[in-house]
Amino acid sequence: MPVTMTRGAFALPGTSLAFKTGTWRNTRPIHTHAAAPCHGACPAGEDQQEWLARLQEGRPREAWEALVAMNPMPAVTGRVCPHPCESACNRGQYDSPIAIHGIERWLGDEAIRHNWAYPLLDVPVRSQRVAVVGAGPAGLSAAYHLLRRRYNVVLFDAMPEAGGLLRSAIPPTRLPRDVVDKELGRILALGIEFRPRTALGRDVSLDQLRSEFDAVFLGVGAGKSRHWDVDGAVPADLHEGLGMLKEWLVVGALPTPNAVVIHGGGNTAVDLARVMRRAGVKDVHVVTASGLPGPDTEPDDVLNVVPRELEQAVEEGVVFHPHRTINRLIMRGSKVVGVEMVRLKKLPDGRGRKSRVSFEGTETVLHVDMVVPAIGEVVDPTGMESVLHGKDYIKTDRFGRIDGQAGLFAGGDARDWLKGLTGGTVSAAIGDGRRAAEAIDALLSGREAVEPVRPPIRYDRLNLAYYENRPRIPLPTLELEKRNDTDEIEGGPSGAQALAEANRCFSCGNCLACDNCWTLCPDNAVVKTTELASDGSHYVFDYDYCKGCGLCAKECPCGYIDMVPDE
Amino acid sequence: MTEPASLRSRQPRFRGLEAGHRACQGCGEALAARLVTESAGPDVILTNATGCLEVFTTPWPQSAWRVPWLHSLFENSAAIASGVEAALKAQGRRTKVIAMGGDGGTFDIGFQALSGMLERMHNVLYVCYDNEAYMNTGIQRSSSTPHAAMTTTSPPGKNRMGKRHMKKDLLSIIAAHHVPYAASASVAYPQDLRRKVRRAMEIEGPTFLLVHSPCPLGWGHDGTLSIEIARLGVQTGLFPLIELERGEVASVMPIRNPVPVVEYLKRQGRFRHLFSDGDHRAREEREHLQALADYNIERYGLKGDGDDPLDTDGADTVRRGGPART
Repeated sequence: MPVTMTRGAFALPGTSLAFKTGTWRNTRPIHTHAAAPCHGACPAGEDQQEWLARLQEGRPREAWEALVAMNPMPAVTGRVCPHPCESACNRGQYDSPIAIHGIERWLGDEAIRHNWAYPLLDVPVRSQRVAVVGAGPAGLSAAYHLLRRRYNVVLFDAMPEAGGLLRSAIPPTRLPRDVVDKELGRILALGIEFRPRTALGRDVSLDQLRSEFDAVFLGVGAGKSRHWDVDGAVPADLHEGLGMLKEWLVVGALPTPNAVVIHGGGNTAVDLARVMRRAGVKDVHVVTASGLPGPDTEPDDVLNVVPRELEQAVEEGVVFHPHRTINRLIMRGSKVVGVEMVRLKKLPDGRGRKSRVSFEGTETVLHVDMVVPAIGEVVDPTGMESVLHGKDYIKTDRFGRIDGQAGLFAGGDARDWLKGLTGGTVSAAIGDGRRAAEAIDALLSGREAVEPVRPPIRYDRLNLAYYENRPRIPLPTLELEKRNDTDEIEGGPSGAQALAEANRCFSCGNCLACDNCWTLCPDNAVVKTTELASDGSHYVFDYDYCKGCGLCAKECPCGYIDMVPDE
Repeated sequence: MTEPASLRSRQPRFRGLEAGHRACQGCGEALAARLVTESAGPDVILTNATGCLEVFTTPWPQSAWRVPWLHSLFENSAAIASGVEAALKAQGRRTKVIAMGGDGGTFDIGFQALSGMLERMHNVLYVCYDNEAYMNTGIQRSSSTPHAAMTTTSPPGKNRMGKRHMKKDLLSIIAAHHVPYAASASVAYPQDLRRKVRRAMEIEGPTFLLVHSPCPLGWGHDGTLSIEIARLGVQTGLFPLIELERGEVASVMPIRNPVPVVEYLKRQGRFRHLFSDGDHRAREEREHLQALADYNIERYGLKGDGDDPLDTDGADTVRRGGPART
């Protein structure tokens, strides 16, 4: 612009673009890809928002590819995971959470149906060899993620088939075996060398593996039942829960007393209770120190069971006795004729740690002729003495590294710190396997292991004016009278349902490409790109003109825009 | 190729009002004018009454407009538009003329010229950016200022709780001219606003659009809140979004869940005195404004029945890739 001109003189028209209103600004908008709560809650590390976004774009295969970048077995977890993602879903505070597990399951099934290829990383093939012991969820995940990074992986398992507790502990009514066969078969077929019927401590020793391989991952699970007695008393014909379940899964038969009490509050207890109920046991009681889900139960005190499984168990006539324990066995000779229960609660002690306090005077008697403990399992020490040091579980850091044992890693149920809300789940084991694979890759590449963490997004950062109430898709459940020992009880969504449900996603913390910032900027300071901008969105702030009013941040439905002080 | 400067020339929309204008942070009028011109397209000539819009878009010798634009006086935007339209007609050209003004230049000062333009049936779209006071000159009351609002010429005090009189019902006066199309719109509902501009543009004859445009300075709110406040204006019923064809109400934007007016009032400094403790008049005036909103809801039948994709909740719904409807 000619600056010497006086006010009344003739001037060539100029555009206001010469005037950079960006200098007025004291805060600037930036794009912040915060973590959606589903991602934050997922023990397997999935970014559900990311793959739901691909589905919103109508690209199921890309959605599946984004999903299996973290979790190679969505058809399995979509069926068995207690989906903490859904409990965390922001939509739960609005109407009802996205049925993430149903969509995950649908994607997993689609991948099997179309035989979509698992994408491997585009990195050079590695020469190093890694041994993975245990072909359960943790071992399979570790093997898959190592193979994805182009390592040579040998997977050992004592059983003839891969799957671990997916086969030995989860009834086919929850997880049909053909789903396990197909999904796990596809993972193994990627090029994992699988050596079945090879047990640690019997066919191969840990020292042997450590000398033969560059790294060893122990995903051996917890296969030995925890010792159980009541004041030293144990019935002569004691069956423990997981053992009974395994027996039933293999031979299809189980004892059918008139009345049974199962002691424990996990999936094993509930699965066994349902199986026994269907086998004709009239009274099936579950005694657990935890509480049932409800407004008065603290989150860390709830039964560690898939919520819908609990509902179905109650429907089927299983009687739950929450906040109770077995105080005394009533025996006739060495046979149980009843148990005495007492109420208890987990309460903070003087040091603030929670411990169980039983309440004298609340004893009641259950007349049963069988008592089955299902109070959890510990690592089978055979062949594992050098890492267990006499403990029940292997002590590791969050990447599965074992202190003082370079090149040796562990994860899944065999590992000690993984307890609490989502501990001990298939998804947690998958997450463990992935983190261990990262640590192994880091070790063998001479770098630091990293687990990227993004800040979580709060519900109040969303602008809900831009969303509408829409009901969650109903998922079919087998009617009570049609339930048996083999048919899957919960059904999956149809393709149309899955896509519709994905469209309910708020896209918390990530760009929805809704154009709001571009449409509502009074200063034309948001420009749109057809190709992706460097941060993955379709919008670029023009800081030459942005006055920093913050309208875009306020009106962004997803909380993707943050206002930060300008330098 | 993702540098803003190079992207700017390749935007998938017409840029009638370009960046670099001097409007305040979060200016509702700047946004409204941007939305109107980008929907109207490049083949237009604009006339502008004196006011904020005129001042902040054309600081000598620059212009933020990328279409022909004329300004003469406060009172004659409609008159100039009439002349431009007559000249274009004489030349046989079909370029559309849009006259623009604020509420001062439309409700008060340019009212006579506007009425004349409508009465002579000029083929002009008149857009009034309604920010409910004379903001450019320092927030003096206009006949569009709502009842009980504080301006520098309607201060709350011992005798009055802000403006004594009601907001002028301009749309009814426009309706009395029997023009083919008149409507109210809000910056909080850009899809609705764009549709109304396009509808007006395709009509031969005088059309009128009243756009509710929050003014952070004059209304006393943070620029961040401009859209939220505009949205509340609609959702409370204080600013009904209606369309008139030949003076008859042809359609309204139903309110799915009417919001109490205090939600709208409490976010704005111009209504701060309505929340002073211990003044019985504050409560009275809040109830008065609620009654005015209820009156609008009843008069225009704004209470929706059930979920409607075009009601106050549905009209701004987004999905991946843009608004839920276009």
